[in-house]
Amino acid sequence: MNTTTHQTTAPAVSDTARATAARPLPSGSALRRQWPELLVGLGLLVAPIVLPLLGMSPDLLTRILIWGLFGLGFDLLFGYTGLLSFGQAAFYGVGGFVTAYLLTDGLVSNMLLALLIGTAMAAMTGLVIGYLTLRRTGIYFAMSTLAFGEMFYFLENSSFKAYTGGENGIAGVPSPELSLGFIDIHIGSGWPMYWFVAVIFFLGYLVARRIVRSPFGTVLRAIRGNAKRATALGHSIQSYKLTVFIVAAAYGGLAGGLLGLFQSYMPPDAFALDTSAQLVIQTVMGGAGTLLGPLLGATIWLYLYEGLQQVGSLGPYWKLILGIVFVVLVTVFRRGVAGALIDFTRRHRRLPAYIDAGASTRVASTLDIVPPLASSRPGAPVLEARGVSKHYGGLKANTDIDFTLREGELHGVIGPNGAGKSTFFAMLAGELPTTTGKVFFRGQEITGIGVTAVCQLGMSKSYQINQLFEQLTVRQNVMIPVLARLRGRYRGDLLHRLHSDKLDEQVNAAIAMVDLAAHADVQVAELSYGEKRRLEIGLALATGANVLLFDEPLAGLGPEERVLVIRLLKSIREGRSMVIVEHDMDAMFELAERITVLYEGRKLAEGLAEDIRHDPDVQAAYLGGMDDESA
Amino acid sequence: MSLFFSQLFNGLATGLLLALISTGLTIIYGTLGVINFAHGALFVVGGYAGYTVYSLTDSFILAIAGGSAVALAVGLVMERGLMRQYYSRPPEDQILVTFGISIILVEIVRGLYGGISYSVAPPDWGQGIARIGSLIYPLYRLETLGIAAATLLLLYFVLYRTSLGLIVRAGIEDAQMVNALGINVKRTFLLVFGIGAMAAGFAGVINSPIVALTPDMGFRYLVDSFVVVVIGGVGSFPGAIIGGVIAGEILSLTAMVNPQYSEVMLFVAMALVLVLRPQGLMGQEGRE
Amino acid sequence: MKDKKTVGQALQTQVRRRSVLKAGAAGIAGSVLLPGTARVAMAQDKKPLGAWPAGSDGDTVFVGLTVDLTGPYSAQGAEQQRGYELAVDHLNSGDPILQKISPNLKKGILGKNVKLGVADAETKPNTAVQAGTRYIHDNKAMMISGSTSSAVAIALEKVCNREHTPYFTAISGSNETTGVDCQRYGFRPCYFAYMACKAIAPVVAKEFGKDCRAAYLTPDYTYGHTTTESMIEFTEKEGWKTVTNQVHPLGAKDYSSYLINIANTDANVLVCVAYGADAVNAIKQAQQFGLLDKMKVVVPYSPAFLEVELGSELIEGVIVGQGFWWTMEDQYPIAKDFVAAYEKKFGGKARDSAMYGYLAIMAWAAAIERAGSFYPPDVVKSLEDGSVLEIPVGAFTIRPEDHQGVINFPIMRGKKKSEMKNPDDWYDIIEIVDGKEVVPPLGLLGCKMGDYV
Repeated sequence: MNTTTHQTTAPAVSDTARATAARPLPSGSALRRQWPELLVGLGLLVAPIVLPLLGMSPDLLTRILIWGLFGLGFDLLFGYTGLLSFGQAAFYGVGGFVTAYLLTDGLVSNMLLALLIGTAMAAMTGLVIGYLTLRRTGIYFAMSTLAFGEMFYFLENSSFKAYTGGENGIAGVPSPELSLGFIDIHIGSGWPMYWFVAVIFFLGYLVARRIVRSPFGTVLRAIRGNAKRATALGHSIQSYKLTVFIVAAAYGGLAGGLLGLFQSYMPPDAFALDTSAQLVIQTVMGGAGTLLGPLLGATIWLYLYEGLQQVGSLGPYWKLILGIVFVVLVTVFRRGVAGALIDFTRRHRRLPAYIDAGASTRVASTLDIVPPLASSRPGAPVLEARGVSKHYGGLKANTDIDFTLREGELHGVIGPNGAGKSTFFAMLAGELPTTTGKVFFRGQEITGIGVTAVCQLGMSKSYQINQLFEQLTVRQNVMIPVLARLRGRYRGDLLHRLHSDKLDEQVNAAIAMVDLAAHADVQVAELSYGEKRRLEIGLALATGANVLLFDEPLAGLGPEERVLVIRLLKSIREGRSMVIVEHDMDAMFELAERITVLYEGRKLAEGLAEDIRHDPDVQAAYLGGMDDESA
Repeated sequence: MSLFFSQLFNGLATGLLLALISTGLTIIYGTLGVINFAHGALFVVGGYAGYTVYSLTDSFILAIAGGSAVALAVGLVMERGLMRQYYSRPPEDQILVTFGISIILVEIVRGLYGGISYSVAPPDWGQGIARIGSLIYPLYRLETLGIAAATLLLLYFVLYRTSLGLIVRAGIEDAQMVNALGINVKRTFLLVFGIGAMAAGFAGVINSPIVALTPDMGFRYLVDSFVVVVIGGVGSFPGAIIGGVIAGEILSLTAMVNPQYSEVMLFVAMALVLVLRPQGLMGQEGRE
Repeated sequence: MKDKKTVGQALQTQVRRRSVLKAGAAGIAGSVLLPGTARVAMAQDKKPLGAWPAGSDGDTVFVGLTVDLTGPYSAQGAEQQRGYELAVDHLNSGDPILQKISPNLKKGILGKNVKLGVADAETKPNTAVQAGTRYIHDNKAMMISGSTSSAVAIALEKVCNREHTPYFTAISGSNETTGVDCQRYGFRPCYFAYMACKAIAPVVAKEFGKDCRAAYLTPDYTYGHTTTESMIEFTEKEGWKTVTNQVHPLGAKDYSSYLINIANTDANVLVCVAYGADAVNAIKQAQQFGLLDKMKVVVPYSPAFLEVELGSELIEGVIVGQGFWWTMEDQYPIAKDFVAAYEKKFGGKARDSAMYGYLAIMAWAAAIERAGSFYPPDVVKSLEDGSVLEIPVGAFTIRPEDHQGVINFPIMRGKKKSEMKNPDDWYDIIEIVDGKEVVPPLGLLGCKMGDYV
């Protein structure tokens, strides 16, 4: 664990305190935070009374709950982490068939144990498939999950036919029996089955809610929002993705096991592409990212599916009507039905949309800085590039650059367009491997080790084009880097509470440093460009980095905001070393002590700001060498 | 040995047909970024429309024209009516709405034609068997090889040698920029979607003498098209051709060894490509 | 009972008490009024089973149909539905045909009307099971019927067995349905792979010769494999040689690779085991590859409408087995009535799919009339009592040991177009097979029946 050095930034603290004192903290907030769980619990209790009036039988409700459970895991994967998988049926099938096989063959007589084993097998399958497919993102990931899903479907019907019954499935799954020591509960079909599944769904929902509100869950949202930035802020996102993939697989396996118990029959189409597709349809239609979207979507889809067939006059046209209704629903409800409901309630209750009720705004402290690993003295080299080159085939972006950043220094890098500044910067930040040459951070080689490792070591970069988490609030944005520093590159804390005093005080401090306390709970998409730029810097600060790289921090700012940011950059110097790439010459000469000039991939000049200002070679480079003869 | 060559050749013929079927999908995805799950349904619509024209006129050429025209019309209506609203929406929404449209199209076809399959006889110039050395091959399949190759060539010409094609390819690169340059991208997109749909319908008619028309047949072709597009490279037109030929060869050659595994081998190949070289054989890296 | 009661059990106990009172009262009344009749058998301890007695308390009984309205077999499913509807029409109106089928049949069933519910099974076992259980639980169905795929049939018969509700397949070709997967509450009136192959092997040996070399196109699922096995067994007994067995994925569209493999052998008979559109494509493409110039075609278990989908040119000379053909009206008066009634109600000629639906309703209704009750075990026992019905293909009975229908069926040859007397005259009937001769020996397919309750 890193010990922290506290630095005083007195004005910021009192500003924060003033800002937070004005913010109302609702009483009974613990209960408030749990209201979705209460709502769902209530809904499950009330459903058997209300929904049959709409013609829904206990069987239909049980089926909906099973899909809802399946969807809880999928929503974590897709709605929260942004990973669209078309192969969830593989886990549904594995869990279902393992459970069914164990129970029908008599290998395991305890139903709960069989369910557990089935779920565990599904999770392991998730580990294998996830490992193979998560190397890619976007459409490639979706397609590869589809491919693996189809392979499993094929295997079920061929190699594993003896266990799965091939296209006949496994029939005769015994009805669930719970043996609690002195009592044996036999769960018959109808309402008893509903209650059994409802309890499991509720437990699954509680767990999913905890995951969503855990630090782990927050990182998931960051991955969905901007995976690249999440990585740069110190999170090993592949590990997070794989973990949530396994969790989704486990939920799928549990749902599959329940299906077999519910129907006393495990159907082969559990593995079919149809099943994966239906899950996606229900989730998107119901509203992704809400956990209850899949349940809502399943209700609509299954209700229509059954209901339309019962309208005798429709005959085989029932599917056509279903298709039309479906297209209409997807077109009208942009964020799904649940999304529309949430928007509706938000607008009507005029709640500021995203108050994170768990956050404590009272605690404040100063922003921690990761201490240097080795003892350092002012002036010692902190970041070094030695003979660094980057060649892309014949294109020489950077050639043989030496660069040193000293402890506590603010070093500028300038150069005309095409000089290779961005490439050089990326290599300095450990993003890009060099063609030749090495980069050292406090004596440790960091050439191309990747942004996550570099961030954990204590260096962070702020981007030229804002790389923020647009759908999250300012507070949530700042949480991401702080979480990385407090928890390291990965921690499987799915069930922990998100908020701790330590987290909140660091987040508040960072927000205060960039003067965004008034906007702490505003969604980033709604901020002005200048505020976003400050947040961009704030994210880099919040990592606790003691070496900061700024890629054109003043890009696109108006005159007032420019002044603010320059002042900000000056104010954060204490305890930190900084490199700034900029085009704004006035700002550069005002801020930087030493300046390096790059030109056509090479280092043209380096020295004190004043000297660089008057260097004839530098001037010539910027003016394009028009007058070669001028003195 | 002659068996091997027969299968090899068959794979090529099957593959080019698959390539033709997949071209529409890759054009639409490459230009508009839309994964058209209704692609299979458009294939079916074209096939059935072609059948109707054929039964009325007895002319295969007219059937091709009719089937393609109907598919084009459906594609244009789809784009103008719905897809246009979906360009700014996330990809999963696009997948869902095209999936919904495919259900609607298939059920309309089933409602109009019933569940019994319909066969279209090969045209007079396509009846009989061709003999190439020791290889016996249906004449019509050889002709589809030729038709597929010719159509692909025509599409290539349109995409790479005309100004429309240039706009389309520029749109693949950067639609916003094209718009900023004052070109009516909306109309171009409409046309592209129509061309993609028409390609699917055209393929449906061409394929109908070989495979009987059933309302549900499109799904299999949709999935196979995805495999082809992934192997060849998403958004790449030459990739669709290469991918198609490879897929055709996989199906043929696996059938020679162990027919049961022929379809699953396609998925294994797709998974391999995705794990090792996700952009496909001819696709550009970083294109998602 | 030591068990802790769930809500469901509590409810069930209530129902039990009510029906015990009812049964008790009836039993007393019965024993006073009609001594020595079967009425006394209404014992005091008949628990509710399936939807009984709730489903038969009123003056309508509900029958749940799970047919393929969409999916690859939607043509067969639609045809089945027509058969069921015709049967219910005749039953509810007391049509004179009833008496010809069985002396037990009257108007209605035990005086009650029959109502049909139709659900789309989509040829998916899960969807079918969903619909079936819904019908039993919600609609109180007293009988479930309908299937084309054996996977669906087997899934349904197992679920209906658990629910103690009689289930009748419509079409199910796999040996297992009344073999290893047989169920006390499952019934298969139609013929299937074993019977078809045993019957057709001698016919094709006679027609095509005793030393043929056969190439098989087998779809890769249970029905395909068992049918090919049976066919190989019986044709090899006739002296045929099995040259190759090309197994293809179910639903394959392109058979070129398999046909090329076959073309490279010296086979002169093509045995097409595929069903539905697969059969159509396989035969169509075989002709395009020129295979049919040197090969004859046999379709041992043919789907209905194959002839329509292939067309006269391709069906010419092909030997098929189907469940029924309308020209049988010349031989069986019942067939004549059935074909006429179907044509009047729906237009066109009835096919075997419709006949199976019709048959299921009639067999079930007759059994209930004989049992005098809807109590499921009684109905099942009555179905097992060996009674004979006269149906469009002749005499029909159900074998008690495995619930397999002992049913006749025609083996036919496709006609030349020039010989077709009307647009529906697709086939010459070579032989009408006596079902008794071709049912498998008892126990051969491994059927072990479960309990009645």
